[in-house]
Amino acid sequence: MFKAIIESEKLKETIEAVSSIVDEAKINLTPDGISVKAVDPANVAMITLNLKSAAFEEFTATEGELGVDLNRLNDILGMAEKAEIVEIELDEESHKLVIGMSGLTYKISLLDPASIRKEPKVPQLELPARIVLTGTDLKRAVKAAEKVSDHMGMGIDGEIFYLEAEGDSDRMRLDMTKDQLISLEPGDARSLFSLDYLSDMVKSAGKANEVTIELGKDFPTMIKFQIAGGNGEVNYLLAPRIESD
Amino acid sequence: MTSFQDFAETCQRIENIPGSLEMTQVVAEFFSSVEDDELEIVSRFIMGLVFPVWSPLQLGIGPGLLYTSLSRASGVPVKGIIDLVRETGDVGLAAREALTGAKKSQSTLAAFGEEESVLSIQDVFTRFSDIANTSGKGSQSSRARNLQFLFGRATPIEAVYLARLSIEELRIGVGEGIVRDSIAKAFDVPKDAVERGYMLTNDLGLVVKEAKLNGTHGLAGLDMELGRPIRMMLAQISQGIEPAVNEMGSVAVEWKFDGARVQIHKDGDKISIYSRRLEDVTNSLPDIVEMVREGISAESALLDGEAVVLGPDGKPGAFQEILKRFRRKYDVDVVKEQIPLQLYLFDILYFNGESLFDNTLVQRRQHLVECVTPSDNLKIAEQEITSDVRVINDIYREALEAGHEGVMLKNPESLYSPGKRGKNWLKIKPLMETLDLVVIGGEWGEGRRANFIGSFQLACIEQESGDILSLGRVGTGITDDMLEDLTARFKELIVVENGKELEFVPQVVFEVAFEEIQKSPTYNSGYALRFPRLVRVRDDKSPEDADTLDRIEQLYINQKVRPDNAS
Repeated sequence: MFKAIIESEKLKETIEAVSSIVDEAKINLTPDGISVKAVDPANVAMITLNLKSAAFEEFTATEGELGVDLNRLNDILGMAEKAEIVEIELDEESHKLVIGMSGLTYKISLLDPASIRKEPKVPQLELPARIVLTGTDLKRAVKAAEKVSDHMGMGIDGEIFYLEAEGDSDRMRLDMTKDQLISLEPGDARSLFSLDYLSDMVKSAGKANEVTIELGKDFPTMIKFQIAGGNGEVNYLLAPRIESD
Repeated sequence: MTSFQDFAETCQRIENIPGSLEMTQVVAEFFSSVEDDELEIVSRFIMGLVFPVWSPLQLGIGPGLLYTSLSRASGVPVKGIIDLVRETGDVGLAAREALTGAKKSQSTLAAFGEEESVLSIQDVFTRFSDIANTSGKGSQSSRARNLQFLFGRATPIEAVYLARLSIEELRIGVGEGIVRDSIAKAFDVPKDAVERGYMLTNDLGLVVKEAKLNGTHGLAGLDMELGRPIRMMLAQISQGIEPAVNEMGSVAVEWKFDGARVQIHKDGDKISIYSRRLEDVTNSLPDIVEMVREGISAESALLDGEAVVLGPDGKPGAFQEILKRFRRKYDVDVVKEQIPLQLYLFDILYFNGESLFDNTLVQRRQHLVECVTPSDNLKIAEQEITSDVRVINDIYREALEAGHEGVMLKNPESLYSPGKRGKNWLKIKPLMETLDLVVIGGEWGEGRRANFIGSFQLACIEQESGDILSLGRVGTGITDDMLEDLTARFKELIVVENGKELEFVPQVVFEVAFEEIQKSPTYNSGYALRFPRLVRVRDDKSPEDADTLDRIEQLYINQKVRPDNAS
């Protein structure tokens, strides 16, 4: 069973973070909260997300999983005002998700979880560098890079975290010193990433006060931040573009 | 699981074989080696087809999506991909070049875990199905990423055939005939049994699976199914009425209606209508559905007929009007009133649970008459069996006077052969005139024709002002030799080059044949040609000698009136 009440904003945040990676997801239910693990169709980006029961006004769930069409759900949540309270309940008989908000009731069909691409194994990575910055700064850097290229490099040079992009004719570089960052653990790190993915990710990450980036050399990056006022965590993993000569 | 690599290697082998016998041998060997689950998929893949022809699923990957995916997987910008396509003349080779020469290729997470495995044929099909099943908001991105995934995993040779398959143009020269023969050879079943199974199911995937698992006996059990369209029997152009009568003896004469072919499946309350291309057009044609519901007494039936637009003068409306009906998805009821249809039925292939494929035309006609209750809009096509050339000529003239295309001459003793354009159905219709038109522009081709100018923009002359007015494009009727000559010739005449679009100095005149002239807002003459085909280059003519807008208007009016002497 599953029944929950939550502020619409928190739920929207959660769904948006996942829908930047996949259109359909399996949401895992436990008495302690919900979680999602999903990999994008190209197997380049991955999300693990946890939302604790404390993020909800009320939360009761037994172990289970829901197959959800995220675009559909996003669309419906668009009807709710920011601070509005949303009620969600699984109707076990019809196997539909019943969503209520100030008088409105939606019944949306669920997907067969077996029809959704299976959960990825999360690779265990040792990433030497760790950068913490504000979501706003990260978002700005990504936006700046998009103006010149379709990919962006992130790396550490001494005590400086840099983000750079190079197009056919133009370049962009942003250097951030330790005091411009929230924190920095330097290490040997430089990798290139597709902006196609990064721009999707910063839609959510850009709203966070603190975003942690872990980096390696030609290695995937881990982008972590909190949602739902600290009662949830999003963890993106993004595979790099590999340069060869 | 059979690896996609095996498939790609087989394609490469076939590509280098000139003869169909040897090709059949290679395809047969491959079929024998493929796992049961993937056999069905492979039988289509090898023809460059992803889903069965009757399936409503459409892959719908265009060059745009393909180039985006390739660009993301390889890190080569889209512009670079387009250049590669132009240089190699082939999306397959371009894909291979892009991925092997990549400077900044996208890695996948699997490369950092332990999941990396070979791409199977099933994997490819699953991704293609995901792509076909994804629609709506944000779907373009997820479609691109599914394709990107495949390119990310593909070996160089896999990339070649993956790219070609994604636009459903495999270009290895394997068609239905070779697949049919290969099935027979691989699983030691008679060709006739394969042919029969294919005709009834319209799905070589089903046929190959049955042949492998249950042999000849299994194939004999295949039958048509309501809700799965079969291909329509087609007619050849006749040399004339007399030769046709001499050949067949007595002939069944019917009007050749000026409309659009429909195949109707009635299964109790469920009525489905398919277009000639076997697309399900049921939702666009509620009036036809209603006619069938009212006028067909049979519990189950599969009918063949023609939907005709009923013009205000009682004559059939223009062909483009009927297309408006067939393609309509919204406001169907509004257009239904504006463009009313009549349905003429002329054949039946299934009647109350029984397939009529072993019935002759005469026998099928009896069933047809039995189950149709004609009304104002639902009619049984009139048929006369005769060997009298004068009678046929009279019917032909009547058909033309009524605004239809001509007549069909059918062999009364013939069976219905789905998908066949044989000698048992012949069509007689007036030859259309040709037009001499100025060539004012063109477009670089795609694929094999990438280095050639593949289509040409045509224009007529406004008699008073001498203005040149566009009238559409022609891209058919051009042989490979001509393509080379024409490209060389028009290269000299290029005024503006904008991407693939070209503009020429108006100098060359083409003689162009066509089926019909249509009104069109797209071109500034206000008209367009339906099925234009290049007949020859009129080197003897200069642009001033090209046909005028006046003549085109006259032809447009005449084709609606259809003169008595057209026969």
